[in-house]
Amino acid sequence: MKLSQNTSLFFLGFCLLISCQEKKQPSLFEMIKPEESGIDFENKIESTPELNILEYLYFYNGAGVAAGDINNDGLADLYFGGNQVSNKLYLNRGDFKFEDITEKAGVTGEKGWTTGVTMVDVNGDGLLDIYVSQVGGYKGIQGKNKLYINQGDETFVDEAEIYGLAFEGLSTQAAFFDFDQDGDLDMYLLNHSVKSPEVFAPAKARNNTDPQGDKLFMNLASQGENRFEDVTEQAGIYSSMLGFGLGIGISDINGDGWVDIYVSNDFTENDYLYLNQQNGTFKESLETMLSSSSRYSMGNDLADINGDGFPEIFTTDMLPEDPSIWMKSVGEDKPEVYHIKKQFGYGDQYVRNHLQLNQGDGEFSEIALFSNVFASDWSWSPLIFDMDNDGLPDIHITNGIVKRPNDLDFVQYFEEGTGKLSEKELEAKQIEMLPTVKLPNYTYRNTGNLNFLYQSQEWGLDQPSYSNGSTYADLDNDGDLDLIINNINQPAFIYQNHSDSTNNFLRIDLSEDSNNVFAIGAKVKLYAAEMSWSQTLSATRGFLSGPSTTLVFGLGKTEKIDSIEVNWPESKTERFYDFTANEHLNLRRGTGSETHLATIAKSDNHETSPSILWNHQENAVPEHIKREYLLPRSFSEMGPALAVADVNSDGLEDIFVGGAVGQASSIFLQGSDGSFIEAANPIFQLLARAEDTAAAFADFNGDGNLDLYIGSGGQEFLSGTLFLNDRLFFGDGKGSFSFDPNALPQHAENTSTIAVNDIDNDGDLDIFVGSSVVFGDYGAAPKSSLLINLGQGKFQDVTKEWFGAEINLGMINSAVWADLTGNGQAELVLSGDWQGIRVFENKTGKSLQEKELPGLEYSSGWIQSLVIADVNGDGRPDILTGNLGLNTKLKASMEKPLWLYHSDFDENGQADPLIFHYMGERLVPLASRDELIKQIPGIKRKHNSYQNYSEITGPTDLFTAESLANASKQAAYEFRSGVYFQEEDGSFAFEPFPDQAQLSPIFAILWEESQKTVLLGGNFSGFRVDLGINTASAFTAYRWKDGAWETKAFQDSIPSKAEIRQLSKITVNKKPFSIGASNSGPLYWINLD
Amino acid sequence: MRIVKFMLFSGLLLIAVSCAEPVDYSQAITDGQYISQAQDRITEVIIHDIFSPPVAARIYTYASLAAYEVAASTDPNYASLMGQLNGSEAVTFSPSEKVYAPLASLAAYYYVGTGLIFSEELMNGHRDEAYAKLKDKGIPDDVFEASIAFGKEVGDVIKAYSSKDNYHQSRSFPKFTVTGEEGTWQPTPPAYMEAIEPHWNKIRTFVLDSASQFTPLPPPPFSTEPGSEFFKVAKEVYDMDKAATQEQKDIALFWDCNPYKMNVKGHVMFAEKKITPGGHWMSITAIASKAADKDWKGTAEAFAMTGISLNEAFISCWDEKYRSNLIRPETYINQHIDEQWVPLLQTPPFPEHTSGHSVASSAAAYTLAHLFGDEFHIVDSSEVAYGLPIREYSSFSQAAEEAALSRFYGGIHYRPAIEYGITEGRDLAAFIWTKVDTKAKNVASN
Repeated sequence: MKLSQNTSLFFLGFCLLISCQEKKQPSLFEMIKPEESGIDFENKIESTPELNILEYLYFYNGAGVAAGDINNDGLADLYFGGNQVSNKLYLNRGDFKFEDITEKAGVTGEKGWTTGVTMVDVNGDGLLDIYVSQVGGYKGIQGKNKLYINQGDETFVDEAEIYGLAFEGLSTQAAFFDFDQDGDLDMYLLNHSVKSPEVFAPAKARNNTDPQGDKLFMNLASQGENRFEDVTEQAGIYSSMLGFGLGIGISDINGDGWVDIYVSNDFTENDYLYLNQQNGTFKESLETMLSSSSRYSMGNDLADINGDGFPEIFTTDMLPEDPSIWMKSVGEDKPEVYHIKKQFGYGDQYVRNHLQLNQGDGEFSEIALFSNVFASDWSWSPLIFDMDNDGLPDIHITNGIVKRPNDLDFVQYFEEGTGKLSEKELEAKQIEMLPTVKLPNYTYRNTGNLNFLYQSQEWGLDQPSYSNGSTYADLDNDGDLDLIINNINQPAFIYQNHSDSTNNFLRIDLSEDSNNVFAIGAKVKLYAAEMSWSQTLSATRGFLSGPSTTLVFGLGKTEKIDSIEVNWPESKTERFYDFTANEHLNLRRGTGSETHLATIAKSDNHETSPSILWNHQENAVPEHIKREYLLPRSFSEMGPALAVADVNSDGLEDIFVGGAVGQASSIFLQGSDGSFIEAANPIFQLLARAEDTAAAFADFNGDGNLDLYIGSGGQEFLSGTLFLNDRLFFGDGKGSFSFDPNALPQHAENTSTIAVNDIDNDGDLDIFVGSSVVFGDYGAAPKSSLLINLGQGKFQDVTKEWFGAEINLGMINSAVWADLTGNGQAELVLSGDWQGIRVFENKTGKSLQEKELPGLEYSSGWIQSLVIADVNGDGRPDILTGNLGLNTKLKASMEKPLWLYHSDFDENGQADPLIFHYMGERLVPLASRDELIKQIPGIKRKHNSYQNYSEITGPTDLFTAESLANASKQAAYEFRSGVYFQEEDGSFAFEPFPDQAQLSPIFAILWEESQKTVLLGGNFSGFRVDLGINTASAFTAYRWKDGAWETKAFQDSIPSKAEIRQLSKITVNKKPFSIGASNSGPLYWINLD
Repeated sequence: MRIVKFMLFSGLLLIAVSCAEPVDYSQAITDGQYISQAQDRITEVIIHDIFSPPVAARIYTYASLAAYEVAASTDPNYASLMGQLNGSEAVTFSPSEKVYAPLASLAAYYYVGTGLIFSEELMNGHRDEAYAKLKDKGIPDDVFEASIAFGKEVGDVIKAYSSKDNYHQSRSFPKFTVTGEEGTWQPTPPAYMEAIEPHWNKIRTFVLDSASQFTPLPPPPFSTEPGSEFFKVAKEVYDMDKAATQEQKDIALFWDCNPYKMNVKGHVMFAEKKITPGGHWMSITAIASKAADKDWKGTAEAFAMTGISLNEAFISCWDEKYRSNLIRPETYINQHIDEQWVPLLQTPPFPEHTSGHSVASSAAAYTLAHLFGDEFHIVDSSEVAYGLPIREYSSFSQAAEEAALSRFYGGIHYRPAIEYGITEGRDLAAFIWTKVDTKAKNVASN
């Protein structure tokens, strides 16, 4: 009794202790209240009948905030922009105490509608000036851009007119950098249009210069004049009414030592990525460098996340994460609208944040979906900085809009019952009815390897707000970055950073003897034993805002920095050596040791690669998109087929490549010098209409010559159509092939794979032919066939006899014969969309029986390719899988799989393939309400509003139990590509490939046993518009070494956007190569030596 | 004692019975007021649910047909349309004596109409209010129930008939492909909606032999040459817009009848939804029936026949639209005349030739003239609920011609689409009346 009382007391005490401890534990960021800080700025906005979100589309875009030390007292001061209120300048008095000196400093903004603010030393006197962007001359809004020149006594004078920068119009933000490397700061002025963004103009209209468009101004300071000159046109900068510029970032994107520009454009116009041509001009290169970009691009940040010295590009958009908001908000363009935009000449753009991983060689991988940073609601300012000084840069994103215009109930149903209102009454009612949702800003903690975790609550940054501009600065000089956010109708947030003191840092100020005193545009790289970091100094980041000129690096546990490399803005590179952490450095140009900019040497020894001038030519606008509105992916871009063998018996390997619809397939014969000549096979011309997606060479008729099996697909025709028929060609051993129309029983499906083996032990080769999809009925199982060789290459379909009449082989993408179990008899191993790795055991050469192998139960995904090999050399075959990958909106796990419900839910004769995915704990349709209604109109009867639809928690909220019971339900649990290692007991354990291999779907796997290396080829642009193209990684290779994968680099590379479908090994001129066959592209060669 | 008791009992019974002595409810429904109100409601629901013009016409037609069939089955002066319409079979109903025909007719209308829209609760609420009102007029419960049951019985026959018109299947037909070829239709700003109902010609016609029976003259051959006929008709639209008088603009807006006009202001979008062309003419039918003092049967007849005329008009017109697949003036003018030009009315999402409003209006006007005589003073208040004024006409054909021309004033059609459309609509309506009749021919002999 006593004991137990004591125990309880003890336990209680323990609990109290714990809870006390938890309470005392301060979060990483602590909000400093206005009373304490003295910063009482609030961007108050009042909507009036004359000026509101309907009159001015960017009425609720808010304003920015800039940090910088204006009086050179070593403390970063803050300048806030106000739309309808005065701008404010707060002098940092230390210890988070600030003093409002706006009036006496003379920087109120003169009642103008301020948008962006930038603190930068424009005239090279060592004092930070302030450039203020404003909206003016529009619907009664007054404003004109200001250049407040710092007088050195905490006062400023607007000299914008003198400097030629007093632009009046719709300005967003300015960025300063020395684009021509003459030692002074030039200015890019980002402006926005207001001209009917909903009407698509041809993209070429971006060439039509408009006085209100973006501008580039050249500073003439180094030429001895206090003046800027407009060089927009001669520099190749677009300055048209298509530009709805909301974000501007500067950095050396391609590592050539010259500062480049990234511009985020809202609405239809592409973003712009301007590469500095080093001659006073820029070349807009977005579409050649990036796969896709944000559609409604808002702010951006250019910063190096992975420490490789190259800046990533992050752009924000407006995709909600909360399913209740997401399901009732305007989403991706409908496919038809998407195609119209493409017809008008615009690039691929998706409504979500984009994180463009800089691969350093001028190529980018878009990985926001992989990194899970793609949805942060109506977002504005992204800032990439190391928030907890753990050495890994994190991402903070402001969000919120006072009136949410993309609410679908508002769009569709607002107007009812408003017939008799006057125009102004209608407008007032509309504004009143626009929904308001206040959300916390988004904080993503970098957990390493480009993975991020939502961390707003944990770090104390979860106060609901309508936040716009934001910036960071080490306000108390303690070595971590504090966060400052400009809010609408709410006091600005000042967050003090309480980073763990066990994490190290380095503070760096730069200076140089030029008119660019603070060395804006310089890139600073830190090298330590285990890690490296880089940052570019820019006074413009995020949205309408800019950080201070002091760089702060979080170093984690790193104590010692071996060297610091500074790429100064004038293409001079210096190194500084040996630093310890937690110091404040002043690096002055000319005091380091000069070195050369390390540029990537592009290998260009293509003369050593074989060459075949052949291009796969895919047809446009596949038919099936019209028929299957909910189809998640197309199967019409699965070619080309590729097969390698010595067909003319000269000891040299030859190549077969399959043509797309309308393109003949070809055989290329290798000559003794390693060149290739196309063999004349006129029969291929006659059969050009077939899209050839699978091919295999083998001696099917036993005459000693290789024959050729060609499988066709393309999802262009109904099953049974003539040009879907697979075909067998008999070889003459000299490179010619003759077609035998009677050799095969009819197999006219979308053939995806061919597996050849003698399964009845009669000495001739039999064939398993796998099919991927039923035309017009995604989710149904197409007919796959087992063909037994009757001798002399005549085949009989024995599928039913061998598998049993009841067998459902599902959608098959890949099948192989291999003796997985070591019983001396090859099993059939297959997989595809919505099915795991399935193994069929050959029973006495008469039947194939499915065998459940432990460890493969949850292997179901969208497996595209299978290879069996003993990866770890333990004598047991392992299974390598190429899957969808992780860089997708489709997320799956054992606990929360992705589901396909396949049934004719509305009994109209067409089955409906409905994908359900987990958002949080809710299992909701992937398709939008509009799309579902298009397929199944009755859903409108059940869910009469988007609100109602957004409350769905599972399939039972859409369909009756009876109707769901009749549906076929297939799950996908695993989308990672990797290896199922066979254990001693015959079970399998999955180990995914490294992250880089998860960035795109893997279609081709080549295992090179001699080097213990796996080559992986991927990318796919045939996903439905709401999933988006995925061309983040064309080719990766890894060597298995000491129980782990290590990246294997080859001299040759494949362009990162190429869509690799097949990889085959071939020996050319006695050298081993891999051929990569790409869809709608050429053959690529990888020298395996 | 016993007798006394019995007498007392029967006296009580008598008293009880006489307390429930029915009022005469035969005049509870006389004219078309109730069915017209039901139609107004269905119009609201069609707008709410966003049905396109062809689909809306189909909804009106089947609902009206059900109401009419009750009339025909209870009044030998009217001939059933079942058996006369394509794919229909003659039916004979034997309503019980309890059935109050006008109520059954109204019930049939609600029943069939509600089955064709999505927002059923909006219909049901309206129906229940009407029923409550009628009950207050003294219709006994058993009569009420029998009438509603009979309305449903007739309604089920019409539903079964409607279920075979290919509409359900057509929901999963392939979408329209924008080829991008010169001169062909392209989606138009600001919503760039896909072309609606590209397979509407596969919907069963009620009377026409086929969707293509009244194929109109084709549009002028496409050309971008300034001297060409096509350029001229496009330029004419452009010049018309520039020179439009206030009266012409008013006419264009009055007949806009766009069920889904998208308004976009920056990121703010909202749909402005109005009555469809068919809805407008069904409303005129109600107005005319009332002005002509039609009883409920005459009103149901007018509804059914106008509905059928509109339905055939849309099938015929849509058949031609996707045959000629013609570029809209907005697209052509933006490409070849004035990049900035925006028509007064928002271009609806389907090909140009012929004008749906022209075909539908002239078909409806023909039928109304057939029923009421062409000379008719129409006070058209159909659009008042949608913020537009009343317009008056002295004949149906005058109203129809104005409706047709309004598309030219509004900048969404070339003139040939209007002229050929008027002919198309008139011809097909005239054909309808040669094939079906609502007046029983030999009442006596049957």
